[in-house]
Amino acid sequence: MGHVDRARAFVADADRTQWHDQALWFVRTKRDRAADRVPDWEALRQQAAAIKRNALGRLPELWTEFESNAVAAGAVVHWARDAREHNEIIAGLLHERGIERLVKSKSMLTEECGLNPFLEAQAIEVIDTDLGERIVQLRHEPPSHIVMPAIHLRRGEIGELFAKEMGSPPGLEDPVELTAVARRNLRKHFLSAEAGLTGVNFAIAETGSFVVVTNEGNADLGTALPNLHIASVGLEKILPRQGDLAPFLRLLARSATGQAITTYTSHFRGPRPASEGHSPTQANPALHIVIVDNGRSQLLAQPDFREALACIRCGACLNTCPVYRRSGGHSYEATIPGPIGSVLEPSRDPTRHAELPHACTLCGSCTEICPVQIPLHHQLLAWRGRLAEGGQHSRRRRWALYLVGTLFMWPPAYRFLGWSARAIARVFPSRLLEAALAPWTRGRALPAIPKRSFRTLYRDRHRQAAREADNGGREG
Amino acid sequence: MSDARETILARLASARPPTAPAPAAMAPPPNVLDPIETLREHLTEAGGSFQIAARGDWPNQIEWPEALSTMEHVYSTLADPETRGVGRTAVFDHELARLDLCVIRGEFAVVENGAVWHVPESARERSAALLAQHLVVVVEESQLVPTLHQAYDRIDLAKTTFGWFLCGPSKTADIEQSLVLGAHGPCTMSLVLTRDGPALSGTAR
Repeated sequence: MGHVDRARAFVADADRTQWHDQALWFVRTKRDRAADRVPDWEALRQQAAAIKRNALGRLPELWTEFESNAVAAGAVVHWARDAREHNEIIAGLLHERGIERLVKSKSMLTEECGLNPFLEAQAIEVIDTDLGERIVQLRHEPPSHIVMPAIHLRRGEIGELFAKEMGSPPGLEDPVELTAVARRNLRKHFLSAEAGLTGVNFAIAETGSFVVVTNEGNADLGTALPNLHIASVGLEKILPRQGDLAPFLRLLARSATGQAITTYTSHFRGPRPASEGHSPTQANPALHIVIVDNGRSQLLAQPDFREALACIRCGACLNTCPVYRRSGGHSYEATIPGPIGSVLEPSRDPTRHAELPHACTLCGSCTEICPVQIPLHHQLLAWRGRLAEGGQHSRRRRWALYLVGTLFMWPPAYRFLGWSARAIARVFPSRLLEAALAPWTRGRALPAIPKRSFRTLYRDRHRQAAREADNGGREG
Repeated sequence: MSDARETILARLASARPPTAPAPAAMAPPPNVLDPIETLREHLTEAGGSFQIAARGDWPNQIEWPEALSTMEHVYSTLADPETRGVGRTAVFDHELARLDLCVIRGEFAVVENGAVWHVPESARERSAALLAQHLVVVVEESQLVPTLHQAYDRIDLAKTTFGWFLCGPSKTADIEQSLVLGAHGPCTMSLVLTRDGPALSGTAR
């Protein structure tokens, strides 16, 4: 089942599709307004891209520098080659301390690694604390957007869920009241947690610090009270110097949600000092950082695609993508949906994700908007070629591409087909044609069929111009 | 497991792309004409409230989210208002969940986004700023920086165990993109810029 088939389920609900499309477009316009207020926006994008290019060329040095600085600050650093190692390290840290519940703030890396099911299989409960993530967790679904995990849901569905899972009165639909319900429910978890896990937005080599941004404050609440803070970080997240944070933080929230900055931008270096209170969960603060490869070094080895490692997970390319907005995140069936996901996911599993680079009109809006200048639509095109060479395309697509390719290489056949299409269009009523061309004509009117082909129009115009130039020459 | 580190470093070394030079630090953009107004705009857009008051008398001059005298549990790193209720008696940080108000001093504010840089002096101060219902951050008016570039020139992360930019109350828009203030942390946040100025006489607290 490909992206198209899965998207069909989403678009079956026309109201939802339209709402989804418009909600994300609204976020995109907020981003535009925020970017327009920054006079040096394009310089910022260039700077960020240049910093990432430099960092990607020095990853072994930067990560060892980070490691020694983080260790000097009292953190424990772990390395994980793949998702399984990452999950085992975290399970080990929790088991060692007899901890049976983990509060977790948003981390696409732990989604990618499948941490939740792994821990749950070992009788460790995981509480996602970002409101959107908590909602999708309770619904047993993955996030459908990397910044707005529950953007595919309407308030009624969330009210129903909270009534079932959090005991709120049935029929509650007001976002303010629903948020208050979740706040009360999650406060209990924050106050009783023994371990908190966060992702990492940026790691700083020269200081061993890392930065986590949220609007809700969940990453902070999840790490302020418990003894154990675990931070999972992908290999691409490193920046050389603290000053590099300025361009990235100026770009990130503006690109993501149109905010100038998030509510919380927290800089951690080593475990926090033991608190005055010394409650049992606070007496021995510890910070464990898990550095994860899981396919990133393999992506680094591919010149066509390595720039995707510059991604800061702002989600701007999702919000602007006409395909994403109208097909919903779940139709990608990938940890990261949208344009950036369609570049990243095939490198992980080309056969499974072979359809994703085709879920794209090559309009280039993602490339235009990307704060770190990843050439997304060029990479999507490059993937199509790569997947064709690798034979990962479905049989249907291989045949279609073969036929079109042959047609394009044989001009008489192309001309004949164009002529017959115009001839047929003149004879048949447009209703019938539209039925024959479905699903293309679903929601679109068939354009008026021209009498003559572009080719003949072009030839005649060219001749005409040549004649006029000739006449002009004679007169002059 | 122990050779994961070596494996990863070796993989990264063998996949190493061509070296690209580190870019020179970029010049910050030109300063805005009215920094205070720009700061106010950004903070209020983030759901915060913005007030200016005289340094010696600001607690009497500002508008509090609730009447100061009615707030039973207060944690304050300033002499005025004073710490009281669980702010004073709490044995464990967890008890700070009952705080009505937390008052802290920020080091400086960033004009381009409305954020305040704050380095808590203790783990408790950080917990208080997260668990209180209302957060008030006091910053000297002279301590404004135009953008994050100048902000990081002032910060030394190598010496900072924990520090954060704070901008507005905690918030979420995860339900149908409607903005709700007060997600997990404070439901209101006020930034008070203090400056030289006369005290107001006879203001009721």
